[in-house]
Amino acid sequence: VIEFGEAILFGVLIGGVYALMATGLTLAFGVMKIVNMAQGAFLVVSTYLCYALWQHYGLDPIVAALIVMVPMGALGFLVYQLVIERLERINPGLTIVATFGLALVVEACLALLWGPDQKTTTPVYFNQAIHIGHFTVPRAQLYACLLAIVITVALQLAIKRTWLGHAITAASENPEGARLVGVEPRRIGAWIFAIATASTAFGGAALSFLYQFTPDTQDVWLGITLSVVILGGLGNVPAAFGAGVLLGVAESLTTTYVSVRWATAVPTLLILVVLTVRPQGLFSRMTRQDAGS
Amino acid sequence: MRFLCWAVAAVALAGCATTATSGGSGSGPLKIGMSLPLTGSQADVAKSGYQGYKLWAAQVNAAGGLLGRQVQLDVLDDGFDPNQTGSDYTRLISQDKVNLLLGTFSSLLNAPASAIAARQHMVYVEPSGGSASLFTRGFTNLFFAQPGTTLSLPNLFVQWFASLPAAQRPTSAAYLTEDDPSASPAIAIFKTKLQALGVRKVYDQTYDPSTTNFDAIAAAVAQAQPQVIIDGAVSSDGAQFVRSLEKLNFSPKILFQTNSPADDTYPGAVGAQNTGGVFTTEAWSPTANIAGNAEFVEAYTKMFGAAPTEDAANSYTAGQVLAAAVKAVGRIDQTALADWLHTHTVNTIVGPLKWDATGDPVGNALLAQWQGGALRVVAPKSAATSGTIVYPKPGWSLP
Repeated sequence: VIEFGEAILFGVLIGGVYALMATGLTLAFGVMKIVNMAQGAFLVVSTYLCYALWQHYGLDPIVAALIVMVPMGALGFLVYQLVIERLERINPGLTIVATFGLALVVEACLALLWGPDQKTTTPVYFNQAIHIGHFTVPRAQLYACLLAIVITVALQLAIKRTWLGHAITAASENPEGARLVGVEPRRIGAWIFAIATASTAFGGAALSFLYQFTPDTQDVWLGITLSVVILGGLGNVPAAFGAGVLLGVAESLTTTYVSVRWATAVPTLLILVVLTVRPQGLFSRMTRQDAGS
Repeated sequence: MRFLCWAVAAVALAGCATTATSGGSGSGPLKIGMSLPLTGSQADVAKSGYQGYKLWAAQVNAAGGLLGRQVQLDVLDDGFDPNQTGSDYTRLISQDKVNLLLGTFSSLLNAPASAIAARQHMVYVEPSGGSASLFTRGFTNLFFAQPGTTLSLPNLFVQWFASLPAAQRPTSAAYLTEDDPSASPAIAIFKTKLQALGVRKVYDQTYDPSTTNFDAIAAAVAQAQPQVIIDGAVSSDGAQFVRSLEKLNFSPKILFQTNSPADDTYPGAVGAQNTGGVFTTEAWSPTANIAGNAEFVEAYTKMFGAAPTEDAANSYTAGQVLAAAVKAVGRIDQTALADWLHTHTVNTIVGPLKWDATGDPVGNALLAQWQGGALRVVAPKSAATSGTIVYPKPGWSLP
């Protein structure tokens, strides 16, 4: 029973981390229908910036994320204005190729700046654990999971309770209608992309103290975050959190009771099952896709 | 037509005979061919390995060369592509007409290269490529220039383990390994040998090389409460696994990891204070008390402005092995060189090397342990840089 409980607990904590990493992609993919292949690269840029602030100024990575989100937001804004928006007018499919190319450029720049060696941050809590009865809860994972919950709630409140949130919803669901009420979808798109990129600061902070990272770490995380977004359903931030937790628990249970080797296949298997049974995602309702056109 | 067939056959036979004794006489430089992954994912490894070869050649030439001829390295780049490695060695032998061959890096590249050398009856001394599968192909001209392959990796550790008083000896072990030819066969031998000593297996898993998250694995290991953890770690996976153990504050009495603890980045990743007591094996150590080793470290550092890596030492060793055979035989006769190496011991900077019929060295890698912030050789005694072994491993030092 303790083993099962610990496997579930670990799965939830790891899943929270997955959800945190996937937040930005969920926004960009779900609301704007942009498959941002550079999201993993942005995540790793944030990780390196948090690492730099920790290394040079001793800033805790979570605190550093509050600073890093500003330049990351600006980066997202610029990328949208200079690349995404222009390509979308020509052919939306080109954004996939462009962001993939951007990811490669970013990876090369990171390698030039920081080299190919593994890096990591070691804040005071990175190897501490809290013991509750028979259960051991690593503080690093716990903080990352709590961070995921905070970001998810904050983004959800921002979308539901603010003018910008309503504008985002309007622009994504009915661009023409949004224009009629004074909401310019292009400008809103830049804001969404900026917020999505800024949110990688928190995922990057967690990544910096949870795992070792190199410039090509983005490959691993892009795969996991895409899995989370597909499982949860496009554009739904709380659903992405649920999907992340489901993925984490499935991986943890597979590692504990089946085989470590099968754990890496879990995301793919889950996607296959979910796309077969509920193609709209686990937590999303089926909607008409022609509503906004 | 029949005459033509005989003529072709005669030319082919003549070609084989020429290859076997190529360069037997001559006055120009002695050409030594090799193909290295100078570009591609393993370029860093190859760079230091190439520098090891360069230092060896420079020292040989400064001492008058081999057989009175200066040594000239003929180096091709394979970009870490085994197909290209095969093409390169074929070119080195058939077009460049090199007199001797030296090996490349990794089992992946040495497998095709050594097969081509065997086909052409040329001696092939490899600085790397310790996968056991390389020595089961019946080649008689392949020689591994390290003290042991993956199969002998557990020997010195198990010897020390067996020497512990029965009351102090741990009774349970967890086995974890990456699915890799340089790690999983060694872990299988660990398992067999420790089980023979009465150590109960409480966890046994093999993970995919793409695994980066070890939290769930570490949780399962901690749940099994092993006193010993034997981890077949290939690179950064070892440090990542230790970080996951630290997060759970689970520290075994003994932690043995292959490869990873010798990485430069290991102390930074796990925390320098948490390296204490971790075992690993090394083919070479810069501080090992072996004749010629300190001189090699000094000369290399002077020549390249940085301390040598294990890869640099391994390629230098391969050069030492080849040179010893050529000097002893006194001519470039590939069959005679192979025969000599099969029947003699060569003193090198990794210790005396001797080979069985397959080219597998009859020896053991150095057993090393992190002590006081440095990796110390603890066995064999002849190469040891520390007279004590830390046991049990101290717990994780938490902030």
